[in-house]
Amino acid sequence: MQQHWPGFGLGEETLDKAVWFGSLVGLERAYRVMIEYGLPTRAAPDEMFRRFPLVRVLSPELELRFDGPEEAPLPHVYFRGPDFTLSPLCLFDIEADEWSHDDLIALTTVPWAADWLACYEGWLATGRWLGGGRHARTPEEKAS
Amino acid sequence: MDEFNSNLLGSSAPIGEILLAETAIRIELPPSLHGLAVDRYEALRKYIERDASPLAGLVRIFYPQGSMAIRATIRSRKREDGFDIDIVAELILALTMAPSAVLDLLFTAINGERGSLYHGKVERNTRCVTVHYEDGMHLDITPAVLIDENDPRRSVIFHAKAEEPPTRHQRLEMNSYGFVEWFNARTPIDLSFVEAYANKAYAFDHLRADAEFTPVPAHSSENGGKSATVVAMQLLKRNRNMKYAARRGRMPPSVMIAMFAGETAVPGNSISGALDAITGHMLSVLSKAQAEGRLVDVRNPRCPVDRFTDRWPENLAAQSVYIEDLKVFRGQLAAVMSDSLSLEEKRKLLALMFGEGPARAVVEDFAARIGESVRQGTRRIGAMGRVLPVAVAAPAVVRPAAAQPRGHTFYGSNWPGR
Repeated sequence: MQQHWPGFGLGEETLDKAVWFGSLVGLERAYRVMIEYGLPTRAAPDEMFRRFPLVRVLSPELELRFDGPEEAPLPHVYFRGPDFTLSPLCLFDIEADEWSHDDLIALTTVPWAADWLACYEGWLATGRWLGGGRHARTPEEKAS
Repeated sequence: MDEFNSNLLGSSAPIGEILLAETAIRIELPPSLHGLAVDRYEALRKYIERDASPLAGLVRIFYPQGSMAIRATIRSRKREDGFDIDIVAELILALTMAPSAVLDLLFTAINGERGSLYHGKVERNTRCVTVHYEDGMHLDITPAVLIDENDPRRSVIFHAKAEEPPTRHQRLEMNSYGFVEWFNARTPIDLSFVEAYANKAYAFDHLRADAEFTPVPAHSSENGGKSATVVAMQLLKRNRNMKYAARRGRMPPSVMIAMFAGETAVPGNSISGALDAITGHMLSVLSKAQAEGRLVDVRNPRCPVDRFTDRWPENLAAQSVYIEDLKVFRGQLAAVMSDSLSLEEKRKLLALMFGEGPARAVVEDFAARIGESVRQGTRRIGAMGRVLPVAVAAPAVVRPAAAQPRGHTFYGSNWPGR
């Protein structure tokens, strides 16, 4: 991480978990982001940050647009309350195995988060999400 | 052109600079319409010189003046308003001829007989004769008479308001040709800027020309291109036109802005740099005049009696209004160039500066390019994570500082409140 993103620093580190903080620019404006990642453990295998790195935008706070024509109120995130502006970003297709624990976070998650920020700014400015992607199917969709 | 290596207007240029350039392209007279204007100009010149014309053999030279001559013509905000093309018809007439008679003669020569080419489309104005075209374009032809054959293009033009008595009619000395020479010599053409700008302009015009106009292969790069100073002037004119659309009274003349632009032009400048220089200089000169309780006096450097500010400002209040406009504009420009604002905030600023239409179109196109390059996985990631779009068809560019991570598909859950 230091080699590719010197602006990112470890904020927390344990034997099986790390949290980085850093600034990332999508287009031009810098965003403060947090990346949380942990090794899979038997004790809590379903914790999301142990399945893949989680990226949250700390500041400037993400804007929820409930009246947005596309992707309202926030595009491509895993909605988590109570503060939905801190919802983790959805940067890759889990079902297509686009990321694995063998991948370097610095070469995948971080630049993908930059992609997300750039498209997010476009979404704020135009109301349209232009970066492509898809959403998880609902249980009903899966059943059909 | 290697888009990555062009810091001037390439994808790694400041976003404000890219948005300003693309706004200018949308508001300027595109190459295809420039070609159409040139065709009409030629046709009109031949018509005035036709055998049956009262001016047959009396036209010494026909030349463009004003924005047409320096390629700074812009579209009007409303399509039906078209745009002005200013031409000088230097006539071989006696200097003593009455101003109204000169204007009437030119009007008669162009209007012709009933059923002829321009009949009914011609208007006689105070200093020129205007030909209106159905698509909104209009050509203003100002009759002039040379003062001294040894001092080419120093001429008089004629001021004769139809409703005023002849005693108030005037002859005004001018040398617009000399001013254009002065301006063009002072606005050096930066080849890298010309190429970057011309590529953007051509791409935009090519898309649009087929739909609206017969394309003409005239292009700014083929004719020497333009400098950042000229592009900045076009943006300033657009801003001025917007501000004055709902105001009464005259607006600051384009030729005055061109004079200030010429005085501040430096090679290698960016559009934002040129805007900053021109507005800073104008603000300084106008504020000094205002503080001294006098009206600004700007004259043609090639013809000192040719006063560019003879009709504006009418008074100190009018001068003060434009001073305030310039202050606001400079604040907005600094914000557009800032790296702390979002794209949406920049769109709102551009809308205030140049109008909602071009601002929305420019930002939508920019966002679409970014989105497309992310979707296709062709973008590069620059320092701090800046996404640098690369066209899908562009050749691969090796640039170690800008990594190209592998593609990915955005995913996500549905809004639980759905």
